[in-house]
Amino acid sequence: MNWRARWGRILPHLVIWPPIVVSCGYVLLFSAWTVWVSFTRSTLLPEYSWAGWRNYSTMLATRNWQIAYTNLFIYGTCFLVFTMAMGLLLAVLIDQRIRAENIYRAIFLYPLAVSFVVTGTVWGWLLNPTFGIQKLMHDAGWASFRFEWLIDRDMAIYTIVIAGVWQASGFAMALLLAGLRSVDGDLMKAAQIDGAGPVRTYLRVVFPTIGPIFIAVLVMLLQFAIKTYDLVVALTQEGPGLASTLPTVVVYDFMFQRGELGEGSAAAVMLLGSLAFVLVPYGLYRHWQRRKAEAHV
Amino acid sequence: MSVVSRRSLLAASAATLATPGLTRAQSVKPKVTVISQWSAGSDGLAITTLGKRFEAEGGVWEHNPVPGFTTDMMNKLRAQIIAGDPPAASQLKGPEIAAWSKIGAVVDLDQQVSEAGYEAVVPAELVRLSKPYGHWIALPIQAYRINTLFISKKAADRVGVTSLPATWAEFNAIAEKMKAAGITPVANGGLKWDDGMKWEIALCGINPDAYRKAVMELDDKTLKGADVLAAFRQLRKLADWSDPGAAGQHYSTFMARYMKGDMGMLLMGGWAQGVFKNAGFRFTDYLIGPAPQDDGKIAFDLNSDEFIFWQKPQPEYLAGQKLLAKIVMAKDFGPMYSQITGSLPVRTDTDLTPDGFSDGQREAAKAMAEAVRNNRVVLSLAHNMAQPNQITAAMIDVLTEFVHDNRISPEDGQKRLAAAVDNVRS
Repeated sequence: MNWRARWGRILPHLVIWPPIVVSCGYVLLFSAWTVWVSFTRSTLLPEYSWAGWRNYSTMLATRNWQIAYTNLFIYGTCFLVFTMAMGLLLAVLIDQRIRAENIYRAIFLYPLAVSFVVTGTVWGWLLNPTFGIQKLMHDAGWASFRFEWLIDRDMAIYTIVIAGVWQASGFAMALLLAGLRSVDGDLMKAAQIDGAGPVRTYLRVVFPTIGPIFIAVLVMLLQFAIKTYDLVVALTQEGPGLASTLPTVVVYDFMFQRGELGEGSAAAVMLLGSLAFVLVPYGLYRHWQRRKAEAHV
Repeated sequence: MSVVSRRSLLAASAATLATPGLTRAQSVKPKVTVISQWSAGSDGLAITTLGKRFEAEGGVWEHNPVPGFTTDMMNKLRAQIIAGDPPAASQLKGPEIAAWSKIGAVVDLDQQVSEAGYEAVVPAELVRLSKPYGHWIALPIQAYRINTLFISKKAADRVGVTSLPATWAEFNAIAEKMKAAGITPVANGGLKWDDGMKWEIALCGINPDAYRKAVMELDDKTLKGADVLAAFRQLRKLADWSDPGAAGQHYSTFMARYMKGDMGMLLMGGWAQGVFKNAGFRFTDYLIGPAPQDDGKIAFDLNSDEFIFWQKPQPEYLAGQKLLAKIVMAKDFGPMYSQITGSLPVRTDTDLTPDGFSDGQREAAKAMAEAVRNNRVVLSLAHNMAQPNQITAAMIDVLTEFVHDNRISPEDGQKRLAAAVDNVRS
């Protein structure tokens, strides 16, 4: 009896602590190590001689980083806006109690099961003017059709947005649909009785109720956006030139291709820092929400 | 007497005890562990053949290919060096040999090299790379000529071209003719290294001495000089004559259109011949030879793969490294290896008359020997022979942006290149 009670007390700790320790080890230890390396003169191998902020200033001055960071803003914003919009649209449409709902859900969710490399390669062929959609249109007789974003250095980053949105919309849809379904049916009925049309019901009643889910999806998509790497490698190879590079690609390039571990680590730390753009507003929002909730009570 | 006998007895027993150890030391089976990126195709076959040869001479061969990019192979090498267990030999090339030899202990091959009389028969540029700090620590295994021009036979027939252009002016005239005939004149891809390579072939063809100064010595005056500017102008032409969808494409994407005669000329290293052969095309489907050379004399833009030998404490590895070095330096190694990969043997005294070689290889090998004699061998930038990776990458970034953005004038491109070199120059 006694040992069972004791076991019952120990078991939760045994289950909880090892994963926490391992995750902390992985996340914190390696993050700390990277930060450390970013302040050293490391080249091919880590080497612990102090370099101050030199790696950071060198990195910030490279064209690669400037292009990559600008692209991250463009890509991040477009990816978030369009994925959310697409996901929401699909979720609302599927929410209409349609027939064969499961099939549609599976179809829209399916892109997520395809790896980024496959997505990138396929879209690369589709968008290439010499082999893809443009050629198809020309062969079909529409000779003036132009769709050359892939080889246009100002537009190439948007091809990555297209492929990214295609891949992630289903994911946003699934989560938002779950949210829509969790809305209390009585609320909907009350709105209907009050004479609200479907648009108004969604905008005024349903969406505000599932606000927290929007935030959750947004945060998840944002970290998707920040860590995008393979899509660029497979779709545009950073090209044309360097026009569609992203910070993750720059980090890999400097660390492993050029053997500049210090500078690559500095880039990685700055990329980690950009997560703060996400987490700080989110934290503030949660704080504000809690304050509001307390005030109501 | 009794004392002596006891002493001799002791000596005898000591000798008996020592003998097994002695015989064991003499009869260790030579062993090597090798890592390279050559896992498949002709490269994989070539290194497997080398392994079989190594085993036939009594060694134990253990090859761990790391398929993919060279960087993946380097990551594995880095991990093994950090773990204190480097491979006995690994693929490495160019100035990276010098750079990596500083982070791990390497084997001094001076004695083997001098016994084989090897130094006198390989190009001086390769000697310089293989003994970066005065000692031989790496051995070249095959060479390629970068400045090679391939013209599609069908495209050539359509515009009435029967021989390769000797100068860039002739090249440009042929390209114009092809363009007028509706042929895409340049069949290159648009990956970073491809873009860098087009520029380097242009510069080498305009003036190999300027190439040596600008690319290999990073001489500021030459980088800002007329020859480099001319190379940028030629690169702009090459870019304009390429397929508009070339950005991000590997050159082999265009192989079918090229062979059909829809595309005209390909500036590519000699390995393209092996690629064509593997794809089922014949030597008669294209013309092959040196890229244009404005001064009419032969110059050779060299790419070469090498093995670097890492120190390991166990005697069997040292024996294995000696055996591997002996095999690689031997005169019959070049034919064995290069007939499979389509490369050139690094020994300039190799006989290329056997049937296993192609005319393209024979011509390129002759060009290499002559360029060596006249000191007109330069090292490839885009294939990491001329500079360490960080400098190469910075230069290639400028070149690839230039190729894919026709708003950058050749003058601006040249300025950007000089600035990029300034930033990374150590």
